[in-house]
Order: sequence, then C-alpha cells, then structure tokens
Amino acid sequence: MSTPVQIQDLQEAEVVFRVKRYSKEKGDYWQEYKLKVDRFTQVTEALRRIKVEQDPSLAYRASCHMAVCGSCGMKINGEPRLACKTLVLDVVKKFGTNVITLEPMDRFPIVKDLVVDMTEFYDRMERVKPRLYPSKEVLEYKAEHRLKPEDQRLLWKFAQCIWCGLCVSACPAVKEDPLFLGPAAHAKGFRFLRDPRDTITEERVKVLADSAWRCTYCYMCYHVCPRDIEPVTAIKKTRALLKSVKPMGPAQEVGHKHSEAVYESIYKHGKINEGVVYVKTYGLIRSLVDMTYAFRAGKAKYALEKVEPVKEIEQVRELMRGE
Amino acid sequence: MLIFETRENSRGPALDKATYDAVVVGAGLAGLMSAYYIAKEGFKVAVISKVFPTRSHSAAAEGGIAAYMEGNSDPNDSPDYMAYDTIKGGDYLVDQDAAELLAYKSGEIVDLLERWGALFNRQPDGRIAVRYFGGQTYPRTRFVGDKTGMALLHTVYERASGTDNVDFYYEWFTWDLVVDSDHRVRGVLAFDMRNMTPTFFEARAVVMASGGMGMLYKHSTNSYINTGDGYAMALRAGAALKDPEFVQFHPTALYPSDILISEAARGEGAVLRNNKGERFMARYAPKKLDLAPRDIVSRSIMIEIKEGRGFPGGYVGLDLTHLGEEYIKERLALAYEAALNFAGVDATKEMIPVRPAQHYFMGGIDVDIKGRNPDLIGLFAAGEAACVSVHGANRLGSNSLLETLVFGRETGIAVAEYLKTASWPSSDVAKDAERSVEQAYSVVKSESGRHFGEILEELRSTMWDYVGIFRNDGGLRNALSKIDQLRGEINKMYVTDKSKVYNTEFFNALELKNMLDLALVIAHAALNRTESRGAHYREDYPQRNDQEWMKHTLTYLRGKTVEISYKPVKVTRWKPEERVY
Repeated sequence: MSTPVQIQDLQEAEVVFRVKRYSKEKGDYWQEYKLKVDRFTQVTEALRRIKVEQDPSLAYRASCHMAVCGSCGMKINGEPRLACKTLVLDVVKKFGTNVITLEPMDRFPIVKDLVVDMTEFYDRMERVKPRLYPSKEVLEYKAEHRLKPEDQRLLWKFAQCIWCGLCVSACPAVKEDPLFLGPAAHAKGFRFLRDPRDTITEERVKVLADSAWRCTYCYMCYHVCPRDIEPVTAIKKTRALLKSVKPMGPAQEVGHKHSEAVYESIYKHGKINEGVVYVKTYGLIRSLVDMTYAFRAGKAKYALEKVEPVKEIEQVRELMRGE
Repeated sequence: MLIFETRENSRGPALDKATYDAVVVGAGLAGLMSAYYIAKEGFKVAVISKVFPTRSHSAAAEGGIAAYMEGNSDPNDSPDYMAYDTIKGGDYLVDQDAAELLAYKSGEIVDLLERWGALFNRQPDGRIAVRYFGGQTYPRTRFVGDKTGMALLHTVYERASGTDNVDFYYEWFTWDLVVDSDHRVRGVLAFDMRNMTPTFFEARAVVMASGGMGMLYKHSTNSYINTGDGYAMALRAGAALKDPEFVQFHPTALYPSDILISEAARGEGAVLRNNKGERFMARYAPKKLDLAPRDIVSRSIMIEIKEGRGFPGGYVGLDLTHLGEEYIKERLALAYEAALNFAGVDATKEMIPVRPAQHYFMGGIDVDIKGRNPDLIGLFAAGEAACVSVHGANRLGSNSLLETLVFGRETGIAVAEYLKTASWPSSDVAKDAERSVEQAYSVVKSESGRHFGEILEELRSTMWDYVGIFRNDGGLRNALSKIDQLRGEINKMYVTDKSKVYNTEFFNALELKNMLDLALVIAHAALNRTESRGAHYREDYPQRNDQEWMKHTLTYLRGKTVEISYKPVKVTRWKPEERVY
C-alpha cells in the first residue's frame, strides 16, 4: 500500500477583497474586506463568509457553487469568471498580490453591488427560439427519435451553456453591433439548428445566418466560457452550414463575398492578395474610398503589392480540389 | 425607519394584486413540469422563484435518472424489480403504490423528455444509453454526460417557457401562503427582490415545488438557495410535514465546498483513508468496505474524524493515486475535475479531501400520489418539497430527478382537474395578505439585538452536531432547547441594509425564520422516533423496529409546539425484510 500524500497543508493566508459596490442611494464606491482563506476557498465561499461574518449588506448572486447554475458571473481582477470556479489563492498566485478586486460583469446594467440586470441577456436567448420543435408525429407518439451518438456529442457540447452571461459581457462585437445576437445565443441557436430532430430550420436560418457574420472572431467568448463550450466554434459552424442560403442579409453577403475572394486568391496564388480580396469583398467604390485612408496611413503599398504564385501552387490547388 | 412598511394612506389598495388560476412556487424540474401541465389545460399559471429558473438546484444533479424502458432495458428487468429496489432502499417506509407508479411511469417520462429535445447519451443504434447505479438490480440510469440535472432542467424550462399561459416571476421571494378560515388556499404573498414590492398572488391552487433545505446544515451538497422556504410556509399555514426526521447524508462531499463526489468514484476503485493512511472501512464493513451503504460509510467517516484520525479541518482522504493517471482521467473524470477545479487538488497525486454532508430531505409536505395535501384545500406539492413517500427512509440514487418529473406531471394534471371544478371563493382575504407583509417586516424590525448571521451559524452547527448523522436522546433535547432559544431571539433580530433594491440581507433573514421553523419540526420528529431506520440513526435505539415504527410521522407546527400523529405505510405487494446488501 502506498503512503497517501498528506493534504494537511492548508496554506492559510490573509487576503484583501476590494469590492466595487453600487447602490442607488450611495452610487459607486470601493470597499475592502480582509479575510483568512486557505487553498480550498472558492470566491463564492469567501463572499458567503464576508456576508455572514462582516457585511450582510453586500449583494451578489450565487447558488450551486459547482459551475452548473451560472449565477455567480463577475469580474475577478478584471477577468470575467464564475466566482465558484475560482479559487482565491490561485488568483493570488496568478497576479502576485493578495489584493483581489471584485467587480460586476461589464455591459449589463448594475442593480446593486455585484448584481447585474440580465434581462437583456435572457431576451437575446429567447430570440433564437431556444427549444426543440419536434415533428407532430413525434409529439403524437406516431414516430420516435433516434440520434446518432456523434450528433449527441456535438450538440451536447453547445447545449452545456449555463446562461451565465460572461461571454456576452466580454464580447466587443455585441457592444458595437446591435444586430449581432452574441456568443451565448449563437451557441444555443446552433445547438437547435443542427439538431436533426428539429423542424423549424427555415425560421432558425432567418435568425442566425446574418448575425453569424457579425462576429469578429476575437475569441473572447472562447477564453471566458466556464464550461468550455466555444461559442465562436458554434458561430463558425453556423457560417459553414448556411454558406449559400438565400436571401442573404447584408453582413452575410459581405462575408460570403469575402470567403469566395479568399478562396479564389489562394487557389490562384497560394496566398492572399489583399488588394484583390478587398475589392471583391467590398466593391470598387467602397474600396477606392477606403484606399484613401490606407494612403494616409502609409499602408497602401501592401494592397498594391504584386502577388506571385507560390512555388508549390499546383499542390495547393490539388489540396483545394480535394485530390 | 420607513423602508419596511406597507403603503398606508397612499392612493389605491395597500397591496398590489395579481390573479392566476394557479401559482407554482419554485422553478426547478418539479415546478416547471407542474406548471406546464396546468397551463396545457388552458389555465393561467404564475411560476414564482427566488432565482432565474435555470439556476434552480435541479441543475446540480449529476448521475442520471432511473428508468425502466420497454425494449431498451435488461431483458430480465421489469418495473416491479424497480419498485422493489426503491422500497428496499427506503427501508420499507416507502408507500408501495407510489413506488409502483414511479417505476411504471419512468420509461415514458424519459421518452417524453427525449421528445422534448433532451440530449441523452446514446447507444450506437441511436437509442438512449443506460448504466448501473447503486441499489439497482439491473442497470436503469439514463444520463446526459455528467450533468443530467442541468440538461433536463434546461429542456423542461425551454418547453415551459415556450407555452402560453405561463408567466415567470423570477427573483421574486415567496414568503407566505394565504389561507382563509375554511382552510382553503387563496394564493401566496411574494416580494419582488429587485424593488422589494410585495404582491398578493391570488390563486385557486398553489403548488409548492420549492426544493430542499440543505442550508439548515453546516455541511451540505445543496445550493445556497435551498433554505426550506416551502416547508415552513406549509407548516405556518397549518399543513403537515411527513417524515421530517429522514435526512440523507452523502459520505463523500468535497472539502470544504461540499460539492458531491459521486459514489461512482468508489465503484471504480477509490478508497477512503484516515490521517494514518489506513483504509479504515475495513474496520466498519469488512466485506463491502468502501462500497457499504451510504449511511454506514457516512457514520464510519464521522467516527474517524471524532476520534482524531481525520485531517485538520475535519475530513478524510479519498485516495485514487494507486489507480494511475490514465485510468483516473478516463474512468473518474468528474471526480478528478471537481477536485482540481474546486479544491485545487490533483487527484492523480494527492488524496481528495472528503467528508459527509447533508444531501437530500426525504421528508416534506404531506401529499398523496396526485400531489394533493389533505390539510388545506387547493394546496399541492411536488419534488423534494413534497413527501409522496416514494423514498421512505432513504432515497436511492437516480430516483430524485425521476420523482421531480413523474410527480411534477401527476401534480400538474391533478391541479388542472381540481381547477375545472373549484370555484373562486367570495370572502375577502386582502387583510390576511397585508398581515403577512407586516409579519415579514416584523422579522427585521428591531434596531438592535442579535444579527441574523450569528443565529444562522449557530443553527447550522446545532443541526449538524445533534440532528445529523448520529442522533440520541440527549443531543436531540439539546438541539431542541437551542432551536427554541434561537426562535425566540429572531424576534430581536435586525438587518443593517435598509435599502429597497435587491436587499438580500432582508431575504436572508426571512429564510432564517423559515429554517428555524423547519429545524424545530425535524428535531422533534427525530427525538420522537425511537428506532433506527434508513438515514435516521439513533445511537440509543440502533435497531429498526417494525412492530412499533413502520408508520409515517405527521408533524404540525402550532406556535411553539410540534404536534405529532401517524399514518400507516401503504403496503401493496412487498413484505418488510431485513435490509442487507
């Protein structure tokens, strides 16, 4: 029998939580709480103890403390995280300081302290009709579903969204573009779009196709998602699945032209001819206008560069033809 | 201080009012299921919850949902075997008609959830997959990865929220049932947590689906929101709690967060060790060792800790290190990840720190298999809030998700039936609703006295120490006098936060009042039952005593006292036998 590793080293330490507080009466202010923690202390547990032992007026949300209910999204030292899925001493080690700041999630209106109003998030989710619409036959028990194990695995990946809102709070495209549904809604939307048991594909396409092209692929959602569901991957898959559906929305049309132009350019040269891709994507007039900016910024030379095909161009073409 | 006061002398009625056919308190699986089936018949339903529906505790269920599925189960299995397993697991305090209903409807409820879009794991031919779980004669557990509860909760929420006639009031705190002088339920009084506005939700039927009460205990696998509000509301309104002495403790909760480490870990070869490195289960259960029943393992761990062989802080080790990294990551992924994420422990190198924690409440609002409470006209209950007596003295794994869905649906159907004939009573209960608001404010009215946080911690320690895994006459009497004292002290309780926006301190104080009412009832019933059965273990009465105690406890809260009566266990086909595994 092997000797078990001792786990009695609790690594107790005193930590200072700087909490950004807000109330309608007092406005914004920072408050500090000192707390003794150990290597096992989750941020949710720290908050619970602050509330019970020091300051019961502190408002935050927390429920399951095991990263399935999605209640406790907040910014911890500036990073959007679930408080339960964050150990206090891990943050101390990562940032090299025992002062930890807690702030409400960005983007959502603050209700009080760390509690934000998530109505807008729930509305976004509702816009993608987040439910299966099975066939009448199935609902009337005249037919039954079968689902391939590989389809189950693919859909389950995106169905694990816990509606915590962290990805939306961190998404720059959501902030700039009111027509973009945002990462969580796209993950949910794709989960049903791709479900072979669903029957309202046409409606889903209308909701998702154009919005999918409004994502900038910045990967913030990928990094902050506490369940690793990769909303950006759902968006990529949505684009690929709806590549040629018509009629196209404005973002989808530009995106479609762009990907065609990139494909052509690589087929021709084995690399991207920036100038040509730009013109084919945005059209001549807009390209000329944009060119004036490029001149001013001294970057026009890149667009006007003559592009020679790469040496192995035949091999590239073979690959692209799938040979 | 004008903040916690009802509107007086202002224009209009003193209290906002909303009218529905039915109110469902709680938006977990049982509540959503009931609401769906009530609304389906064209009735207007309000679902009121402290949290957004998908944040409910149903989401925390990991392992799966038990179901006998015709044509997709072991050829030797049958719903009768499933009912038998449930009855034996519950140490014969199970109403056998309820167990039969649970077993016979299990297959169709899983099938229904599939039709609604649940992503159950699949067999290669596309049918729903199945695996073994503790206490099952044949494998019956259906699962969605290791997050079955979360997957099903989202599926049922998606279905219910796409239905006309259901209005969701999330982040609303339900404080009281409103009952008239004919013992008829007339609705509930609830506060909008965002602005503290109280509203009287008038209704002809109320379904309590408010979940469990883990926060009564210092250590619990439950969500922070599980404060037993529904039980306390029912008690105050004059309804009985059935079998409240039966509280399940799970042996392996992660230290110190009390996140559940499934017994699948021990099934795959993990062993429990004390601070000397001894595999101590050899002393307590030489044959079954670490795989002895939950109650035995829980008690053994507690003895080790009590006698100084635990680790500082009070836990033992769940040792996986001898199994090798590859095996651990493949076969014990969930335990490995939980330890890593929530305790910062790499289970391939260190033992996982575990201790027992409260896990489930077998007791609950007394209802029949249709979810109807016999004390109050129009009161229904489902899920963990209810006691249909399907779990008896000890719940089997994978049966709780099943219960929420099967009995959530049965209850919804029964409510719709009831509504078809129930008329709107004419008497005015507005004053009763207003009085209820006053009572809520009075809980926090003092400007000095004791702070609720202190009382809360004392209660949770008292319950853990004296009404926990081991119980005896002296300890339970201690607990009762302590609870009595604390119940007196909350009259002098105060809150520091006087704001009218998302005042969680105010609601925590109301929760504490609920917890104390419930604690009193649990401790009384535990003192009263002088035998050991299932999860109720009396050191002074260590044997099961069918002669005297094969009966349900019914408890009523009358001010400071608890009134106890009994009800026979329904036996259909299975005679009690010794519970040996």
